[in-house]
Amino acid sequence: MRLNVTVNGRPRQADDVWPGESLLYVLRERLGLPGSKNACEQGECGSCTVYLDDVPVCSCLVAAGQAEGRQVRTVEGLAEGDRLDPVQQSFVDAGAVQCGFCTPGLVVAAHDLLRRTPRPSDEEIREALAGNLCRCTGYEKILDAVRTAADAS
Amino acid sequence: MTRLVGRGVPRVDGRAKVTGAARYAADNEIAGVLHGFLVMSTIARGEVREIDPSAALAHPGVVAVYTHADMRTLTVPGFPYNRTFIPMQDTRVHYSGQPVAYVVAETLEQAQEAANLVRVRYRAEPPVARLADAPDEPFLPEGFRADQPTETVRGDAATALEQAEVRLERTYGSPMQHHNPIEPHTTTAVWDGETVTLHESTQGVVFTRNVVSAVFGLPPADVRVVSQYLGGGFGAKGPVYPHTLLTVEVARLARRPVKLVLSRAQMYTSNGHRSEFRNHVRLGATRRGTLTAVIGTSTAQVTRTDERTFNTNDSAVNLYACPNIHVRQLGVRLDLPTSGYMRSPETTAHFGLETAMDELSYEIGIDPVQLRMRNLRPTDPQNGRHTASRHLPACYRMAANAFGWKWRNPLPGTTRDGDEYIGWGMATETHSHNAIRSTVALTIGLDGRATLRTATQDIGTGTYTVLTQVAADELGMPLGQVTTLLGDTAFPDASLSAGSSTVPSVVGPVADAAQGARDRVIALATTDPRSPLHGVPAEDVDTEGGRLFARGDRHRSDSYRDVLTRHGRPVETRSHVENTRGHSFGAVFVEVRVQPRLGTVRVSRVAAAYDLGRVLNHRTARGQVIGGVTWGIGFALMEHTAVDPNTARVVNPNLSTYLVPVSADTPSVDVAFVDQPDSGSNALGARGFGETPGTGVPAAIGNAIYHATGRRIRDVPFTQDKLL
Amino acid sequence: MIPFDYRRAGDAETAVAAVAGNPGAAFLGGGTNLVDHMKLGVAEPDLLVDVTRLPFDSVDPLPGGGLRIGAGVRNSDLAADERVRTRYPVLAEALLSGASGQLRNLATTGGNLLQRTRCGYFQDVTTPCNKRRPGEGCSAREGYHRYHAILGASPHCVAVHPSDLAVALTALDAVVRVRGPRDGHGERAIPAAELHRLPGEHPEWDTVLGHGDLITAVDLPPLPMAARSRYRKVRDRASYAFALVSVAAAVELTGDVIGDVRIALGGVAHKPWRATLAEAALRGRPPDRAEFRAAAEAELADAQPLRDNRFKVPMARNTIVSVLAGLTGEEPR
Repeated sequence: MRLNVTVNGRPRQADDVWPGESLLYVLRERLGLPGSKNACEQGECGSCTVYLDDVPVCSCLVAAGQAEGRQVRTVEGLAEGDRLDPVQQSFVDAGAVQCGFCTPGLVVAAHDLLRRTPRPSDEEIREALAGNLCRCTGYEKILDAVRTAADAS
Repeated sequence: MTRLVGRGVPRVDGRAKVTGAARYAADNEIAGVLHGFLVMSTIARGEVREIDPSAALAHPGVVAVYTHADMRTLTVPGFPYNRTFIPMQDTRVHYSGQPVAYVVAETLEQAQEAANLVRVRYRAEPPVARLADAPDEPFLPEGFRADQPTETVRGDAATALEQAEVRLERTYGSPMQHHNPIEPHTTTAVWDGETVTLHESTQGVVFTRNVVSAVFGLPPADVRVVSQYLGGGFGAKGPVYPHTLLTVEVARLARRPVKLVLSRAQMYTSNGHRSEFRNHVRLGATRRGTLTAVIGTSTAQVTRTDERTFNTNDSAVNLYACPNIHVRQLGVRLDLPTSGYMRSPETTAHFGLETAMDELSYEIGIDPVQLRMRNLRPTDPQNGRHTASRHLPACYRMAANAFGWKWRNPLPGTTRDGDEYIGWGMATETHSHNAIRSTVALTIGLDGRATLRTATQDIGTGTYTVLTQVAADELGMPLGQVTTLLGDTAFPDASLSAGSSTVPSVVGPVADAAQGARDRVIALATTDPRSPLHGVPAEDVDTEGGRLFARGDRHRSDSYRDVLTRHGRPVETRSHVENTRGHSFGAVFVEVRVQPRLGTVRVSRVAAAYDLGRVLNHRTARGQVIGGVTWGIGFALMEHTAVDPNTARVVNPNLSTYLVPVSADTPSVDVAFVDQPDSGSNALGARGFGETPGTGVPAAIGNAIYHATGRRIRDVPFTQDKLL
Repeated sequence: MIPFDYRRAGDAETAVAAVAGNPGAAFLGGGTNLVDHMKLGVAEPDLLVDVTRLPFDSVDPLPGGGLRIGAGVRNSDLAADERVRTRYPVLAEALLSGASGQLRNLATTGGNLLQRTRCGYFQDVTTPCNKRRPGEGCSAREGYHRYHAILGASPHCVAVHPSDLAVALTALDAVVRVRGPRDGHGERAIPAAELHRLPGEHPEWDTVLGHGDLITAVDLPPLPMAARSRYRKVRDRASYAFALVSVAAAVELTGDVIGDVRIALGGVAHKPWRATLAEAALRGRPPDRAEFRAAAEAELADAQPLRDNRFKVPMARNTIVSVLAGLTGEEPR
């Protein structure tokens, strides 16, 4: 099938897509956007988190066919040119990044949290990010980053 | 001069990582690449009788299905390959989840589905999966590395124990655990004639190159391994594992590049694990709490084909100043994959020692901190240095003060908040670190920019950042004027990112190369009549901010860029400086809240302090602490790989039932550093540190649970069923 | 994943017909469980009929004071619905205790109810499992069964149902509305407590639904007592884990005694377990710990735990006591 999907504001097409391919696979292998990471393929780690029609989802569990005609925003689409989104900047500043593999998913999840809840409590942050596993940071610096980003906006 | 070393400089790779621009090993775009997928054995012991690939071969997009019949004989390499065989060389099956066939197809989905269609018939034999089920007695194996003996004897521990005023004998246990780096292991093999390039998620590009070169009989120069960014490893990507070798061979057979990404489930049998572990600890002490005997007998899993164990009982030998020690590390043959190093492998045995020390403190009736203070060693037995643990008392003090330890009522079960019991516990943190011969090359180009090249890699700890800091400082350049390139065997050989060895191994050579390059540039300036610094004695020239100054007359100055431009050729230096192994130390204090009616345990507070020599970057060092403490929480409260006792097959090979801590499980961690340079380390006074934090956390949590409830649990994880 | 056809349904009738007419077809909701199971080879449909764009995506008031939840309403939207949060807190709490934000954003009400067990043997196609391939045998009974059933299991299956939502709906006396190929144009209504079944001789059937039956909505009765309700999930980590035991409960005090009470348990059986024995024991009794404990013990008297999940019996008992105590002000939360 031909898949039509708007990614980071641009209409994109991919040909010969098999409907069972995941949205994650399409983004990474067909549309040249490897920022979203493949880590569990089962919706268990959050590394592949992207916005689908404005809500964050695990793109590994979205069949390509389900994405037809919809809006996708990935980690590559958060910065405006050279200017990082405040969430991205605060991740760098707070030391919330270590190996960086979970980072794209966490940045999208944190971005979404702050859109919905501009001043989240610590408990809200911890719960909102519970679907994003990180094996390096122990999360504390990620919490710092979200707090900083909340203060900045 | 403004120094970068010692400051919490933000990561130089941070921007690339938050924008998705950082390219990990599976993010490459290689023309004509085929996707590979492994067919894994579904029995744990026996023989492959027949492999029928016909349905798989008929599947669209499938290019080939390779089996042992297609493979040439490959040479089983030595260290750091930790199995004694390469799969798919014959029909024998040694564990469930062993590769038996390798499918290559045009897309990943096609390869995956075709792998499901490969029919394999087996002759199965009953496997043994648990230490308790092994029919044979544990035995003393040879061990994997000469520098990690399986038996250590000092003095006469048996007699000392017999004569001890206070004796303690306990057994502690921990289950199989898996590293689960968030990035799965991945290999892309690209042959070009008789040379091969691997895009590999590895903690050691040089080690991988050496192993591949040995297996395939290729000169090392004909193997290139690239690992620019690494999505964590924790030991899972330290040694070279079979799937990497199989991918190299399959790409040769297919005459096309092949990309393999292990599935999460395959990660549970492909890259080692922390072995199930039993630790029988006997302590003898005086009534005042001086240790007179330490006898530790641990049992770990080995396999029917090798005798390799990976969880040294290091702290029993090296941490406390006991004259009589007998440590043995036994093995039991099970039908499981060879285990391996997993972050802070010494934690496994240290959990027993530090819990036993807490139990001893109650037996004797002294504070657990005091008990430890009474038994400190004056020297590091590994290198005889007098400096190693001399700051440990400061660590106890700093962490205890931050925690408020002096307010502790030692009686168990006395502090409540609503229906929660509150308990406090502590433990010593310690781990050895390695030092691996490393070489770096540094080039200052005509634009005055410095480029550092070395074939270590950044596992996520901050190697790019710290090495850039060190080079920039020694050169007298701003951070942004130095580019560090890692993770490519095209660069000079350097340390594995394992064994906490990167900083002690690579920082010295970087500093030395940078000093050498700076001196060369200063010499060029002071001998160049066109330079404002002409004639100034070299020793009177300082560098800062990318410029060279005459000391005492800052108006006489030149810049790296101008000197190099006039010179017309880049300045290049190389250096290797060898360091010694050692230990880093710390103390950790935790508070837990236990709901006895539901058995839930929550870690509510952690304070810790460390001596790692000089702290090169407070931000990345803190990151290691918080990450390590979180690993300790996972070890203590939840992590366990469930292996079916009848089939020796992993039952929870995923991240929804193999639980690792999530953000809601972790408290905030109060971290302090002694931050005194270790004069014995030539890495600017820094020691290896990454694996020290967290080593004491499982014991500290168990000790806190005892303090909260009066119940001593000696097997992790401390799940709710054990506390109801 | 085997190749399959994908079709997007325009209306319920077409969707039902498409699935009913093809024994290998399946409805696709949020996909969080089905797509995963297709990757694992546990589910191998040859046709997926995507029902997420059917007009079942709203929560509407019912005459008489209840709410009708469209089957396509996402878990996160339902949990955020003000009416649900204030009138049926147990439901919002159950939803928020399940999965993660990313998954709740995908998962639908209907799909959540029809998710399948997370038994490790069910998910591993290389091991025997009566639920996956009837007659093969149950690997869990003698294998790893920490998470498995203590109530209502059969020799053929000891799996538990993983949905938190279903436990809350069972406690609330919700009604599941189903459109099936047998109904012509009508719908039939199934009490939530009767949607899922015990394994018995046929563990391959999770629910009473037939092939082609499509959940279109879930109706919540008015149930004023639900304003005082709670969901408590005991699990192996603080968030994002399946239940060892969970309890959904609502209590109504009449004077000094319990006038009415609803209790359902999760993580203990092949279906959400409505604790009718405990409820009966509590009606008309004073709300104190001894009564709660006696009622819980009555409910669990027939528990038949396995070798390694005996702890679930006291855990379930204590969780029931804790939730009821919390709801009746016996103790601070």
